[in-house]
Amino acid sequence: MAPTKSSPTRPAPEGFAAFSLRSFIERLEREHPDQVVHVTEPVDPARFEVTAVLKHLELRRKYPLVVFDRPLNLLGQPSLLPIATNIYATRERCAMALGLRPQDAMVGLSLEYARREEQRVAPEIVSEEDAPVKEVVRTGDQVDLRELPIVRHHDMDAGPYIDMTSVMRDPDSGAYNAAFLRNMYKGPRKLGLHMSPRHNWQIVRKHELKDEATPVAIVVSHHPAFYIGSLNVAPFGVDDYALIGAMFERPLRLTPSTTWGEKFMIPADADLVLEGHVLPNVREVEGPFGEFPGTYGPQRVRWVVELTASNQRSDAMYQDVFVGHPDNWMMGSFPKEGSIYNRIKGVVPSVKGVHLPTSAVGRFHCYISIDKRVDGESKQAALIALGACDFVKHVVVVDGDIDPFREEEVLWAIATRVQADEDVDILKNVKGSTLDPSQRDDIMGAKMIIDATRPVRRPFEARIEIPAEAMARVELERLIPREQLGRI
Amino acid sequence: MPRIFWVTCPHCSKRFYCHYEDLRHTKWELRCPYCERQFPQESSPRIEE
Repeated sequence: MAPTKSSPTRPAPEGFAAFSLRSFIERLEREHPDQVVHVTEPVDPARFEVTAVLKHLELRRKYPLVVFDRPLNLLGQPSLLPIATNIYATRERCAMALGLRPQDAMVGLSLEYARREEQRVAPEIVSEEDAPVKEVVRTGDQVDLRELPIVRHHDMDAGPYIDMTSVMRDPDSGAYNAAFLRNMYKGPRKLGLHMSPRHNWQIVRKHELKDEATPVAIVVSHHPAFYIGSLNVAPFGVDDYALIGAMFERPLRLTPSTTWGEKFMIPADADLVLEGHVLPNVREVEGPFGEFPGTYGPQRVRWVVELTASNQRSDAMYQDVFVGHPDNWMMGSFPKEGSIYNRIKGVVPSVKGVHLPTSAVGRFHCYISIDKRVDGESKQAALIALGACDFVKHVVVVDGDIDPFREEEVLWAIATRVQADEDVDILKNVKGSTLDPSQRDDIMGAKMIIDATRPVRRPFEARIEIPAEAMARVELERLIPREQLGRI
Repeated sequence: MPRIFWVTCPHCSKRFYCHYEDLRHTKWELRCPYCERQFPQESSPRIEE
């Protein structure tokens, strides 16, 4: 299959190499070699062998970025593209993807995300000759998804799925919207697309009302900051390319698409971008698919995408998210934490931290710590969190002496500072998540607030502490031999 | 979570589930994720709803 257009590998301008997936992984291997493992033996992603490796690692509580150097494609042949996956499975790697230090991975990461989310950096347009993603271009029947190492993730999945970001363009405002959407392999140029009623759904609906196809660019592989940026919770109409630029802290480089030219721009530094149309008013069965809560979304009647072109680097990698596992949960958490923090801060200025733990799939539980000054502030903070993010089901508010990123401390606060008849509130019929398996209504569910803070207006028993002076005076390494410390 | 129904594939006898409003009592053929064959829901030996 010869590409219709191929330019010699042209290195991106100085500095931009740092914004490719390959350069991110190479830098990680250089500076944090413990973060990356390579699987050098052949594996078959369509027969669950990629996700089986990731699950084995998870069972050992190991969450490295994994590169599969020799995966098979859907034809059962060696793929030209290696797979990079589990990229987002630790907060430290997410922090590094945004240029932060690993030690800034807790509240620092969520606050930095929130700060950047407020910014907009206009994209920069580059010619197709200067766009690495245009090194290999295929059109029409030359596009063949079977040449890709598409991953089948879980037992009941309806097939291999591409589970990265789809970009669409609002026909009214012209704003681009990027969102993680699942795409089921259905044929060499055909995908089954699932959408929830959010921004891309609105864009497709606008086109369908005019019986028009909706252009879509599936950005299968790019620097992790691209995907982290696409997880923003900005309102409909905000241009996600400008917001993703804010995550990079420099303009996102765009280039004309192969199918629509300058009418629809695609990321110039991506590894792999597929172009196609969501066919108007065409539906087929799609799913089941293992989703973020760790349960399968059911088989449904959903949209169909017909591919028109593919664009890729000559040394492209194929990217995948291990959906329903820490890779998926971590990336869903911190972009929301920062937004929730900022909203609470405006009303409860003593908020110290917000955490959406992976134990609750990075979305359903929200731990908030505040230095409570008056009774009632804790419930106020909880209500703001519930209003800010419809994924959040259960909010636990703790005092400032509890670190919301240490779950055992949060549970200790619930154990010692909560009386259920006084400190737990239930709200019925509130918008929730259609993928929450416990929800009995399609749209609405119940929310719970647990106030695990101490009362302000009556005496309360103190937490046991070792004097800070003693903790500083006693050095463990001086008192216990290093080899014993390393052994325990 | 929307209402679902479990269906048994008439070809391979494995079970999977579908969205009730989208698919139950419709003419859509269901597609078994295990054997990848399509079948009308009336041909399923067991539907749990």
